Amino acid sequence: MSKAILTDITKCIGCLKCVSACKEINNLEMDVPRVWQKNDGLSAENWTSIIQKPDDHYIRKQCRHCLEPACASVCPVGALHKTDSGAVIYDSDKCLGCRYCMMACPYGIPRYDWDSTVPYIRKCILCYNTRLKEGEQPACTEICPVNATIFGERKELLKIAHQRIKDNPDKYINKVWGEHEVGGTSVLYLSDIDLGFLSYNTNLGTKPLPETTAPAMESVPFAFVGMGGFMLGLNWIIRRRMELKKENGNKGKTSNE
Amino acid sequence: MNRVQNTKLVLWLITGLAAAVVLNRFVFGLGATTNLNDATPWGLWIGVDVMGGVALAAGGFVITAIFYIMKREEFHPLVKPAVLTAFLGYLAVIMGLLFDLGLPWNIWHMIIYWNPHSPLFEVGWCVMLYTAVLLLEFSPVPLEKFSRYAKIRNFLMKFRFVFVLLGIMLSTLHQSSLGSLFLIMPFKIYPLWYSNILPIQFFISAVALGLMMVAFESLVSHWLYRRAPETHLVAKLGKAVVWVLGIYFIVKITDLAVTGKLGLIFSGTWESNLFIIEILISTLIPILIFAIPRLREKNRYQWIGSFMVVFGMVFNRVNVGGITMLSATGDSYFPSWMEITVTLGVISVAALVFLFVIEHFHVWEIQPKDPQSLPETPPSFDYSSRAWLGTPDVASLTKFSLAFVISFAIGMALMPEQKILGKGIEDVKVYRASGKDTLIINGNRDNYFVAFPHKDHIKRIGENNCNKCHHLTLPGYQENSCWECHTSMYKATAFFKHDEHTLNSNAHIKCDDCHTPGKNRTAETAKNCIDCHPKYNFQNLNNVSDKKYYALSYTDAMHNLCVSCHMIKAKELKDKPNLAQCSTCHKTGFTKKLEASIKWEISSPHFNQVILPEVKPTVEKGE
Repeated sequence: MSKAILTDITKCIGCLKCVSACKEINNLEMDVPRVWQKNDGLSAENWTSIIQKPDDHYIRKQCRHCLEPACASVCPVGALHKTDSGAVIYDSDKCLGCRYCMMACPYGIPRYDWDSTVPYIRKCILCYNTRLKEGEQPACTEICPVNATIFGERKELLKIAHQRIKDNPDKYINKVWGEHEVGGTSVLYLSDIDLGFLSYNTNLGTKPLPETTAPAMESVPFAFVGMGGFMLGLNWIIRRRMELKKENGNKGKTSNE
Repeated sequence: MNRVQNTKLVLWLITGLAAAVVLNRFVFGLGATTNLNDATPWGLWIGVDVMGGVALAAGGFVITAIFYIMKREEFHPLVKPAVLTAFLGYLAVIMGLLFDLGLPWNIWHMIIYWNPHSPLFEVGWCVMLYTAVLLLEFSPVPLEKFSRYAKIRNFLMKFRFVFVLLGIMLSTLHQSSLGSLFLIMPFKIYPLWYSNILPIQFFISAVALGLMMVAFESLVSHWLYRRAPETHLVAKLGKAVVWVLGIYFIVKITDLAVTGKLGLIFSGTWESNLFIIEILISTLIPILIFAIPRLREKNRYQWIGSFMVVFGMVFNRVNVGGITMLSATGDSYFPSWMEITVTLGVISVAALVFLFVIEHFHVWEIQPKDPQSLPETPPSFDYSSRAWLGTPDVASLTKFSLAFVISFAIGMALMPEQKILGKGIEDVKVYRASGKDTLIINGNRDNYFVAFPHKDHIKRIGENNCNKCHHLTLPGYQENSCWECHTSMYKATAFFKHDEHTLNSNAHIKCDDCHTPGKNRTAETAKNCIDCHPKYNFQNLNNVSDKKYYALSYTDAMHNLCVSCHMIKAKELKDKPNLAQCSTCHKTGFTKKLEASIKWEISSPHFNQVILPEVKPTVEKGE
């Protein structure tokens, strides 16, 4: 029952109602431009934003809720985790503020309370605590007046997306953004323009990012024991050699005398 | 001149400065002191203090492996200092981490909340365990001085080999897992640095760095205490480092060749040049220096070679940890002076502790003496002559305390007020609405223009009722616009213009005319505006009695949103047009005249800072 969001760029009119609904339900304060913000509209107080592109294209940016999230895999205390419902949620009680999740996210989504002395990671959690848990859909998809962004089962949304492409092959680029990217995401996009700018690289590949660190992490016990064994062995050989040398030396000395 | 004393003085000065920054970091947060941002969440502190610190501590495990495992007895004089450096290096890492973490008091969470998938989790555990092991490894040295702890010392000495072995095993993990940290960022790190075998590269380079760190440290401390350098040992280390650096170079180039990135080295981008410089400094030139026996034996080349490796490898860590990501993130992070100060301060504290330990415990074969260090017996105050006995020794302590206090004070004074207290809010100036009969208002600076028929409103409200809208007016000038006092979009600003009252005034106002004579000339001791300007209209200003002549930020003054305010107003109105409906005012569309003034507005220089959409005016329908 992994839920997802499908955003159709061709339908979005850029009314920003999703942004204000998000602010309201998550009790986010008024957004003021700060020096540490990126220019994509997201901030600690703005968990979703509309990016305007030429020719009336409005792209809603939010957390992609990856199926195998890099942020959750790198968090040393497991403060971020992917729930069965599809949302990647954050437990501020565990967090120690290392910001590794911000470094690891290929979309650059998590934001930080830079001005606070007790700062937390801030990002879209798919209204997990307020709505998703009760079986309701997130505030942003509910309020959308033109159904540009819709909520549902991920499988069904993928079907809808492919159906739309099939019905209007000229209108859309034949690709559902988020279907396979970095192992798939729970926030999908249909578009008539390239959405590569939403991530750090226009081609993210289909390999889930946690798999890049997995081989290194799996070899940790072997490296640990192996190094210990190697050092012990080396030590044994060298000692043995020294002993032999000593014996030989002694022998040589005695024979000379 | 005394080399040791002067070095210590400089270290204390830096420490004091850094202490001031650290205080501000904890009181006002990371944003107030660092240039970290949402695109570059890891900066100098992680890059140099943590990554570099761990790398610099590599000397400890390398030299213990050489001495205890490989039984090269001749390196004995270097072992204790190297272990001490490693221990202090790790303490410095932890210190740096505590400043950098957003919630440093939660650092122990790694012990109870486990996520074994995370490289940082592994790094964290390695730091904890290895610091403990290093403490056990080194503690026999200070314990030597206290005979009552002889039993503990003997116990520790018995297990020394185990500690050494554990230390090497943990270091292997730790040095390599620092590389694993960056495996998750294939899209951010420039391809020349990103590699699937980053952990292996980090480990090999750590061994090279460890060897050279031991050499460099030996050279520095001998220079500091003016003793004969251990040239022959350093030369041997140099011989070994050629092999390690050779392997490192081959591994790195082979990896680039296999992944087909070799061509990128000469692609001419700034990253490729950076890569060439890094390889030259960290690997190729040192190999050249240490491969030639004639150079290797010479003290001067040992200095150059070892410094190049140490600097080059730390540079490599900083490159992987941030610099090479700048292209992908499109950010232009450069550390603030406060970040640099703290980084230097952490190093200074570690160095001071190092000097203290080698002067007071048996770390070196011959324990060095600071010529002006404290004597065993504390100085005493002689009441008859009213002087301290043994003052020359206290003088150095006094000097250091003074240095610390003074540089701390300087640090506090240097804190940039805007950055510390400004909450990172950008300065967005508010400008006057343009146009004459009709004003074009871009009230929220969000590019939603409103054409406001000013002339109509004057007619409607009446000629002399300006203050119905213009709530505060200056004497003799009744209709101040909002922007004249609310000059900043998001910040409260002072609206009392001191200069205009003194310098530009025709009235020749003197200080005592406003400020109470004999008292500090502050806002508190000054007269109220209304005392001189009885015509001043304060009807809507509540806090004027506080003498805080601050105008709210423009957005606060406008209740954040024009539309929401209009909605409230619309409910109050009876038999009036619905002001919350855009079409009430915008029914006629833009007139030609209005279109021209909007264009003027957009072309004027103060609009350069906002990105404007194309304004599509509707057809003129007459006004």
